[in-house]
Amino acid sequence: MKKLLAIMLASFVLLTACSSTGNNAANNGGTAAEGTKEITVWAWDKVFNIGAMERASEAYKAKNPDSDLKINIIENAQADIIQKMNAGLNAGTTKSLPTIVLIEDYRAQSFLQSYPDAFFELTDFINPGDFADYKIGPTSVDGKQYGVPFDSGAAGLYVRSDYLEEAGYKVADLQDIDWKKFIEIGKAVKAKTGKSLLTQDPNDLGLIRMMIQSAGSWYLKDDGTTPNLVGNEALKEAFESYKELMSADIVKVTSDWSQFVGAFNSGEVATVPTGNWITASIKAEASQAGKWAVVPFPKLGNNANSVHASNLGGSSWYVMNVDGKEAAAEFLKQTFGSDVELYQKLVTEIGAISTLKAAATGEAYKQADEFFGGQKVIEDFAKWTEQIPNVNYGMHTYALEDILVVEMQNYLGGKDIDKVLSDAQAQAETQVK
Amino acid sequence: MRSFLDKLKFHGLFIKMFMVTLVSIVTVSLLTSIVMIQMSERLFMNTFSITNSKIISQIQTNFESFNYSVVTASNNVLQNGEIKGFLTKPDMDSLSSLQSYYLASQQMKKIHSNVAAYPVTMTISGVNKKTHSTDSSYWPSSTEMLRNSILTVNTLIYPKKLIYQLDTENVAGSSHDDPAIVASRALMERTSANQYGVLYFAIKESDFKRFYASFTSNGNDVVILDHSGVVVSSNRQDLIGNKELDLLGYAKDIEEQKQDYKDVNVLGNSSLVLSKYLPEYNFYLVNLINKQEVLSEMVDFKMVALISFAIVIVALFIVFIISRRLTKSLTMLAKQMSGITANAFDNYIEVSGSFEIKQLGHAYNYMLDELNDYIKKLIQTQKDQRNAELSALQMQINPHFLYNTLASIKILVQQGNKEKAAATINSLISLLQNTVSNISETITVSQELVNLKNYVYINHVRYGEQFVVNYFVADNCYGYHVPKLIIQPFIENAFFHAFQERKDGYIYVLISSEEDALVCEVVDNGVGMAGYDQQNPAHSSISSSHFFSGIGIRNVHDRIKLLYGEEYGVSIVSDIGEGTRVKIRLPLHKS
Repeated sequence: MKKLLAIMLASFVLLTACSSTGNNAANNGGTAAEGTKEITVWAWDKVFNIGAMERASEAYKAKNPDSDLKINIIENAQADIIQKMNAGLNAGTTKSLPTIVLIEDYRAQSFLQSYPDAFFELTDFINPGDFADYKIGPTSVDGKQYGVPFDSGAAGLYVRSDYLEEAGYKVADLQDIDWKKFIEIGKAVKAKTGKSLLTQDPNDLGLIRMMIQSAGSWYLKDDGTTPNLVGNEALKEAFESYKELMSADIVKVTSDWSQFVGAFNSGEVATVPTGNWITASIKAEASQAGKWAVVPFPKLGNNANSVHASNLGGSSWYVMNVDGKEAAAEFLKQTFGSDVELYQKLVTEIGAISTLKAAATGEAYKQADEFFGGQKVIEDFAKWTEQIPNVNYGMHTYALEDILVVEMQNYLGGKDIDKVLSDAQAQAETQVK
Repeated sequence: MRSFLDKLKFHGLFIKMFMVTLVSIVTVSLLTSIVMIQMSERLFMNTFSITNSKIISQIQTNFESFNYSVVTASNNVLQNGEIKGFLTKPDMDSLSSLQSYYLASQQMKKIHSNVAAYPVTMTISGVNKKTHSTDSSYWPSSTEMLRNSILTVNTLIYPKKLIYQLDTENVAGSSHDDPAIVASRALMERTSANQYGVLYFAIKESDFKRFYASFTSNGNDVVILDHSGVVVSSNRQDLIGNKELDLLGYAKDIEEQKQDYKDVNVLGNSSLVLSKYLPEYNFYLVNLINKQEVLSEMVDFKMVALISFAIVIVALFIVFIISRRLTKSLTMLAKQMSGITANAFDNYIEVSGSFEIKQLGHAYNYMLDELNDYIKKLIQTQKDQRNAELSALQMQINPHFLYNTLASIKILVQQGNKEKAAATINSLISLLQNTVSNISETITVSQELVNLKNYVYINHVRYGEQFVVNYFVADNCYGYHVPKLIIQPFIENAFFHAFQERKDGYIYVLISSEEDALVCEVVDNGVGMAGYDQQNPAHSSISSSHFFSGIGIRNVHDRIKLLYGEEYGVSIVSDIGEGTRVKIRLPLHKS
C-alpha cells in the first residue's frame, strides 16, 4: 500500500514537472516567433487606406506563399491615432504602438523630429528616387528616409464643362491659367448661369496651402520650424487672390464636408479646386457624367516659381522601432515600395493615385474615364504628381493655419495685408517656440 | 455456484460495508455537488442582481452627465445671438456670408467644448437653409435629407423638448453598421415662440455604447429601448433597430411596480431583467442577464462533475483497500471459529490482522484455555463431591440397625446367653471399627469378608439362622482391594427382600478374578424380582437399607462406574421365583 502511494506521488510530481517545463518551452517559442510572425497596422478610412493595406497584404501573400507573416490591420480615427501615438511616444514606450502606422504628410515631420528614435529608418529598403519628389520632404529627416510614400494628394481643378460653355468658355480655355484668369471666368459664369464658381469653408485654408505649395513655399521655412509668414510673397499673393475670389462674390460658403460635397453634387458650383481624392465623391453623382473635366491647378500669376501643380493632403506609411520592424520594412518594400501591379489595383478599385513614379507606366493609369468625357484623368494626375514642388511641411502646419484662419477674417474685414501677415508671424513665433 | 455462494457468505461483511460506503459516498458527493451548485447559483444570482442594480445606477449617472453636457450646449446655442443671426439672416454675398459662417463656426466650436468629452457632432440647421456641422464626415450625410427627415419632424412636434432618437437615414456610409443616436431640439425665440432652426447632437451608436459597454459581458447585456420599444442601443449589435415590445412591457412593469428585477423568459432565454427609466431621454435602460450563460461561465458543471467523479473513485479505491484489509482478518477469524465443533474446545486460532482483531484472537484463545481449565476443574470437583458424598453416606450407620442390634444383645443377655451376646458385641465392634474408624477408601477382599461375616452374624442373631450364607473366594483374590462395603448392600437386600415368604434359604458370596477384573457375585435362591432378566442396572430403586441409610444398588453401580470406568459396574439377573444374581465387576487393584 505505501509503495503504491509513493509511486503515485512520484508520478504526480513528475507529471507536474513535465507539464510546467512544457509550458515554459511553448511560451518562449511563442514570444520569439511573435516578432516576425505578426505585424500590426494602424490606419484610418476603411474604404481608402484600410482597403489599400488589405490589398497590399494580399499581394504580399501571393508573392510569398511560404510566409506565415500575419498582418493585423486595425482601423482607428486619425485623431485617435495621433492621440495614441503622442501618448505612447511621450511616455517613452513603444509597447502599445503598432508596427506600421499611417501618418498624414502635414503631420509627419512633427512626429519624426519629436521622436527621432521611435521610427525605423527605411533608407536600405526603399529608394527615394522612385517616388514623387514632393513626397520625400515630409517623409525624410536629414536625408534619412523614414516613410514609404503612399497616396498622391495632387491637386487639380475639377470643372463643369457645361456651365463653362454656357458662360462662353471651353475647357481648353482653363488649361494652365492663373488665379486672375480663374476669377474672371468665375465672374462670367456667375453672371451667365447664376452658379458660384467654387465653395469655401472659412475654417479651412486648403486653397491657400495649395496656392503656396504650387510656388514651392510653405507656412514654415525649410528648417521646418521657423514661421515663414511675413515677407512670404507666395502667401501674400495667395491671400490677395483669396480676397479677390470672395470680393467677386463667386464663392458659395460651406462649413462642413457634407455641404462641400452637397454643393458640387447638386450642381451649385462650376469648379472644385482640390486634391485628386475627391474624384470618387464627384463621380458619386452619376447624373453628372460627362459634364466634368479636370484641368491643371491654376498658378499664382505674380510668382515666377509657381507651377500648375500642387498638393492637398496625402499620407505615408511609417515603421515603428518595435519588434518585427524588419519584417514590416520588408513587407512595405515588396508592396507599396515597388509593386506596380498593386498600384494598378489600387487606382482602379479605390482610386488611390500612386506617388511611385513607375506606377504611372501601368495600364490602369492610361485608362480614359468616360465620366470626365474620356479624359485620362489618372494619367494627368500622375503627371502633375511628379511636378509638385517639394516643400518641407515642418512641424506646425495646423497650428499656424489656426492663426491664419483668424487673420484671414481680419484681412477680409479690411486689415492691411502686411499688417495681417506680420501679426500672424508674431503670434506664430510666440506659439510655436 | 454453491461454493461461490459459500465464499460470498464469508465476505458478507465486506460486501455490506463496501456497498454502504459506495452508496453513501456517491450520494454525499452527488448531494453536495447539487446543493453547492444550487446555493452558488442562488447566491450568484442575488449578488448579480444587486451589483447590476448598482451598475445600472452607474450607467444612469453616465447618461445623465452626457445629457447634462448636451443640455448645457443646447442652451448655449439657444442663447447665442451670432448663431441665431447665422440661421435667420438671408443669403448675402460671398464675403459677408463667409464672415457669418466663420463667426457661427467659431461660436459652435466654443459651445462644442461643452460636449468635447464625448465624440459628438453638433449640427445646426436654420430656417434660411443654412447649416453648419462641427464634423460632418460622419453625420449628417446630407443637409437636405436631414431637413426632411422624420428626426426633424419629431423635433418640431415637441419644440420645447430635447428629444433623443435612433437615426439610420442620415448616417454617412452604411447606416446598418453604425447608426447614430441623435439628440435634437428646436431653436426657438423664448418670447415669440418663433422657431428659427433645429439643433442636433449626433453620437455614433458605437460611441454611445461606451457609457455601458464596460459593464457588459457574455450573457449580461444592456439594451436601451425608446418609448415605442425600438432598441436604440445595445451591446448586442443584432438587436439594434428591432422592436422589442415584450421587453418594453417588462421594463414598464418594473418601473410601475418598483420591482428590483424580473425573472422572465425573454428573447428566447430565461433571464433576469433589470430596468431603469431614463426620463431625460425617455428611454428605458434594460439590463438582461442570461441566467444560463452567466452561470455556465461561473460554474463549470463538467469540471465539477469530473472532480467529484475522481474523488468518488479515489475514495472508493481507498475504502475498498482498507475495508478489505479489515474484513479479511475478520473473515479469517470467522472461518477458524466456525471450525469449532461440539465439545472440541482445543481449536485454537491463528492470531493475525489489525490490533483489534489480534486482541479478539488472543481473547478467544485465552477463553478456550480458561474453558478447558474450567471443565477439568469441574470434572475434578464433581468427582470429589461424589466421593465426599459417598463417604459421608458410608459413615452414617443406620441408627435402627444399631438400635435393633443392641436390642438383640439385650435379649441375649436377659436369656443369659453370655457367649452369644459377647460374640455379637464383638461383631458389632469390628463392624463399627471398619466402617467408622477406618478412613481409607478401599479395603482388601479378606477384610471385606470379615465385615460381611460380622454383619451376617449379627443378622443371624436377630433373625435366626434359617438363611445360610456361604463364601466362596478364589485364593488369589484375597489380596485385591475393593471399595469399602461394596458387597454388604446386596447381602442386606437378600436378607430382607429375597426371603420374605420363606423361612429358609441360601446366600452365596462368590469372589473370583477374570482376565482383568475382579468379579464378586451375590446369589440367593429367594423370590427374585420381576424385570431383571437382563443385565440392566438403570432401575434398581432398591434403596432403603437397614445398615446404611440412603445407599441403593444404583448408587453402587454409579459409584463403581465413576471410580473405574464404563466397563465396570453392577449387573443383576433375576426373575420371580428364580432368585437373584448380583454381579459386581471391579478392576484388579492390589493396593
